[in-house]
Amino acid sequence: MTDLRRLGLEAAVILLVGAALGLSLNFRLVLRTFTDGTVSAVPSTPVAAQAEAFPEPASLAEVRELLAAGALAVDARAAEQYAAGHLPGAVSLPLEAIMAGDNGLATALPAGRTLVVYCSGYGCTDSFDLAVLLLQAGYRDVRVFEGGVPAWREAGLPLVKGAA
Amino acid sequence: MNRLRTPLYHLARCALAAVFLYAGGVKLLDPLGFAGQIAAYQFLPLTGNILVAAMLPTIELLAGGLLLCPRSARPAALVILILNLVFLAALASAWTRGLAIDCGCFRPGAASSSIPLAILRDLLFVAGAVIVLRYRPAPRCK
Repeated sequence: MTDLRRLGLEAAVILLVGAALGLSLNFRLVLRTFTDGTVSAVPSTPVAAQAEAFPEPASLAEVRELLAAGALAVDARAAEQYAAGHLPGAVSLPLEAIMAGDNGLATALPAGRTLVVYCSGYGCTDSFDLAVLLLQAGYRDVRVFEGGVPAWREAGLPLVKGAA
Repeated sequence: MNRLRTPLYHLARCALAAVFLYAGGVKLLDPLGFAGQIAAYQFLPLTGNILVAAMLPTIELLAGGLLLCPRSARPAALVILILNLVFLAALASAWTRGLAIDCGCFRPGAASSSIPLAILRDLLFVAGAVIVLRYRPAPRCK
């Protein structure tokens, strides 16, 4: 019995040390997550604060409100997928193209507008990655529509066909 | 069977170590990508996803590393066992909810992989951890 107890204790130590190690290695990321939006963080420099910002997720209902209030939908999928059906009014900004070195991200979209980035739903992280890049490029208000096209379609909302 | 126990123990130990050193390493390099994959499971709030993405890779790395040394292999195997039971629960829940997601097991940004396959793989890891826990060879000398 003492052997089992010792085994459990040792395993707990591994878990705790691993967790502590991970938290300290990702200290900035974790701190940012907990301070963003809850406490008004005073960043050292505005640029650094922007580069470190984290995109907020938005639900379908929020997305519909945001779009109705003038937000711009940004399609992070490939151009062919955009052509096959995208959210009304969305602009195509494939993450692939950005990653392939298509510069000009900072001027690709209107500044000052809320951006709602989406891709193929929960299974795809392109919208998340693109949103981080957009924040780094200086856009301030960037949201991620995590449900993406599948959630939009399932809600019976219209998709628009046609190339960008 | 008894003659097979020791080689089986070392095989399971080293294979698990390799798998978890790799899995922890690639996830440690891209915590945000990993957080995105956890978010796809839709059961943690944003902060929870980030916390898990921050802690899990180092736990996997540490457990993987400790598996390499026979002296510390048993507690490490227990940690691997516990982790994989949690992964299995998460995968099963995603499967029953019909989520089409990448399991987030290894490289962030990998193409969507099949959940049943990931479940089978995790069951194999559970079996490996049990072997390491149970088949410890007797010390040669005291």
